[in-house]
Amino acid sequence: MSAAVQAQAARRPVLEMRHISKTFGAIRALQDVSLTVHAGELHALMGENGAGKSTLMKVLSGAYRPDAGGEILIDGVPAATGDPIKARAAGIAVIYQELSLAPNLTVAQNVFLGNEPRRLGIVDREQCNRRAGEIIARLGVSFSARALVSSLSLGERQLVEIARALSTNARIIVMDEPTTSLTSRETDSLFEVIATLKAQGIAIIYISHRMEEVYQLADRVSVLRDSGYVGTLARADLNASRLVAMMVGRDLSAFYKKDHRAPDSARAVALSVRGMSDGRLLTNCSFDLHKGEVLALAGLVGSGRTELARLIFGADRRSAGTMELEGKPVTIGSPREALDAGIAYLTEDRKELGLFLDMSISDNISMGVLARDARAGGLRDFTAAERRAAKAIADLSIRTRSAQANAGSLSGGNQQKVLLARLLETEPKVVILDEPTRGVDVGAKSEIYRLIDNLANKGIAILMISSELPEVIGVADRVLVMRDGAIAGEVTASEGEPLRQEAIMELATGAAQK
Amino acid sequence: MVAGINPRALLRHETILAILGIGVVAVLAFQSDRFFTVENLLNQGRLMTEVGLVALAMTFVIATGGIDLSVGSIVGLTAILTGVFWQNLGLPLPLAIVGAVAVGTFGGFVNGLIITRFKVPPLIATLATLALYRGLAEGISQARSVRGYPDWFYVLGQGSVGGIPTQLWILAAAAIVAAVILGLTIWGRTVYAIGSNEVAARFSGLSIDGCKLAVYTASGFAAALAGVIFVSRVSTTRSDMGTGLELDAITAVVLGGTSIFGGRGTIIGTAIGLCLIQALKNGLSLAGVKGDGTIMLIGAVLILAILASNIFDRGGNR
Repeated sequence: MSAAVQAQAARRPVLEMRHISKTFGAIRALQDVSLTVHAGELHALMGENGAGKSTLMKVLSGAYRPDAGGEILIDGVPAATGDPIKARAAGIAVIYQELSLAPNLTVAQNVFLGNEPRRLGIVDREQCNRRAGEIIARLGVSFSARALVSSLSLGERQLVEIARALSTNARIIVMDEPTTSLTSRETDSLFEVIATLKAQGIAIIYISHRMEEVYQLADRVSVLRDSGYVGTLARADLNASRLVAMMVGRDLSAFYKKDHRAPDSARAVALSVRGMSDGRLLTNCSFDLHKGEVLALAGLVGSGRTELARLIFGADRRSAGTMELEGKPVTIGSPREALDAGIAYLTEDRKELGLFLDMSISDNISMGVLARDARAGGLRDFTAAERRAAKAIADLSIRTRSAQANAGSLSGGNQQKVLLARLLETEPKVVILDEPTRGVDVGAKSEIYRLIDNLANKGIAILMISSELPEVIGVADRVLVMRDGAIAGEVTASEGEPLRQEAIMELATGAAQK
Repeated sequence: MVAGINPRALLRHETILAILGIGVVAVLAFQSDRFFTVENLLNQGRLMTEVGLVALAMTFVIATGGIDLSVGSIVGLTAILTGVFWQNLGLPLPLAIVGAVAVGTFGGFVNGLIITRFKVPPLIATLATLALYRGLAEGISQARSVRGYPDWFYVLGQGSVGGIPTQLWILAAAAIVAAVILGLTIWGRTVYAIGSNEVAARFSGLSIDGCKLAVYTASGFAAALAGVIFVSRVSTTRSDMGTGLELDAITAVVLGGTSIFGGRGTIIGTAIGLCLIQALKNGLSLAGVKGDGTIMLIGAVLILAILASNIFDRGGNR
């Protein structure tokens, strides 16, 4: 252990989370996790999606109350749990991935939202602007406290969130993947702000999937896996293979499944997209998707992957572009036309865009083929729907006590399987999967990979959008990379050489051009 | 299998409501010996038909996550037009009725058009047409009322068939048709899907605009029919007919367990809600409670029923 680390260990921790467990019904989201954070430290928290990072942070912020036995100590004193207001008063601030700013208010109004300085009971706008200005100055940024948040870039909005945290005298700031939607310049200025905060003695818990960021910033790294605590590494002990081993903890080759035969150029083209544009972000996107192929669409958030998928599916209007399905030109102006032509789409946000949460699993599965169940006078053939649901529940091993249970009662993985079942019922030729394993537990993930593999084996063409590179490499035959609304390039596996993660990242970030 | 999204959870609300209804009727029967008589109950059935027809269609509207505030004005407009078409334009009465109902139905269609084509929120769109249609009715009527309809016309609102008020037959038939459509057809399932998650419904390939257009048109038709029955029942035509009727209909639907956010609700629930309100109104007035007291009690019952069903529902799936 280096001297610096020893000095840090000797310092009194500002935050100790001890033996935190959290169960939701039968699901164990956290199991006996402990975490110690020192003042002025950047403590990175890593782990796969669903490992329990977000749940742990929600316990810290008071959004969830930990199960009995868990405690949170701030400056060595036990703090109230399960109370967001007390947690904030104790100096804990969380900056979530989805920013929670009111775009039509000014920076100063957002910074003091719900906590406005008052004089005689009336909001003191002068003081509000002045104090917000002071806090912003501490962060060394360029915009004014009077600027409207809607006029700021995403990176600047992030800084407003940090300013808001500072306005409540936060001493522990949690940042949940803060750089996901930032440009590289914005990321650099965020890192400068982070250094300033650390120098002021503020502890930062930094959740990230990006190794390079963690290397650059972290004083210590703690890893969670499958709802449990795995270990903590000091900066001196950081190395990539050790971190990956801690995070994954299992053999990846068995996790992903790629048994289907990768198509060669001779294999028939299922979907051919030419010159797709939407007049806003997407410009001139063209590609071919072969039968029985799993083609991944990679790229950073905001690069236009979902937008392209929605154009193909007819959910949005295109300004230019043509498509051929199995060699025949098709025009698709609505999701109905897409489904009728044989193109199905699994949305990235299953709760907002996909599921009918308070309808039954059976209804959810049959919704794409509702018209097929119509008998005379539009009467619905309920037995057909029940049969279909029972078959899907068995085929996809959807874990539920009944097909009549609400879709909202299922876990994320099973909800995703319900949506996949609906999609498969439409008997598609082309399937577009948008982040098919987002927010899905490890077991369901591997089942979904197996399903994708089976579909490819049956000759269905699959376009898979994914932000998780190991998933892209483990599942796809070929990778298209998007950047700024255009297709930046293609990564293929050559003889014996698997797909290279670095090649994808270079295309996605634009590093390959230099 | 019982029609509905989640039979267990839904029936629970309706069961609570039915028990509440029976309790209310029992109490009221003890309060006044004029309440629980065949004659009185049939008469109450006569009185609730207009709100009832509107409430049946309103169940569909609310189940899609929408609302239709213009129905009371459509009732008034249809009533006026029936009189004007017959007396001022000299059309035969059957033709006048058909014409007036057609205009009322078209009013509903216009609502649907505004909502689907121009993406105006239903609350705003129908608030605007509430004013528009009432204004039209008043403009056309010029504060004159039309009376002296032929006797056969009064059979609809004042006569009986087989000992049951004529319009109650119509209401019963409409309720059965509505229950079948909402519970047992693919269109009913589309209504629930739209109310449950409109984007998901679109992505599932359902025709959102077509369904909404049909639902608002049906709402206009139901209101128009109610307008004609109203005229026949009270023997006269005035432009202020049906004022505030939309709120009675919405109350019955919501009391019946339809979620104001859409996606949930049944016709049987609406029917029970309707009967409960009518029983309270009539029974309380017979028991000597003043009108304003009755309204307060109906408000209290509404809140209690929703609370009760929320509490019991928590034990269920959601």
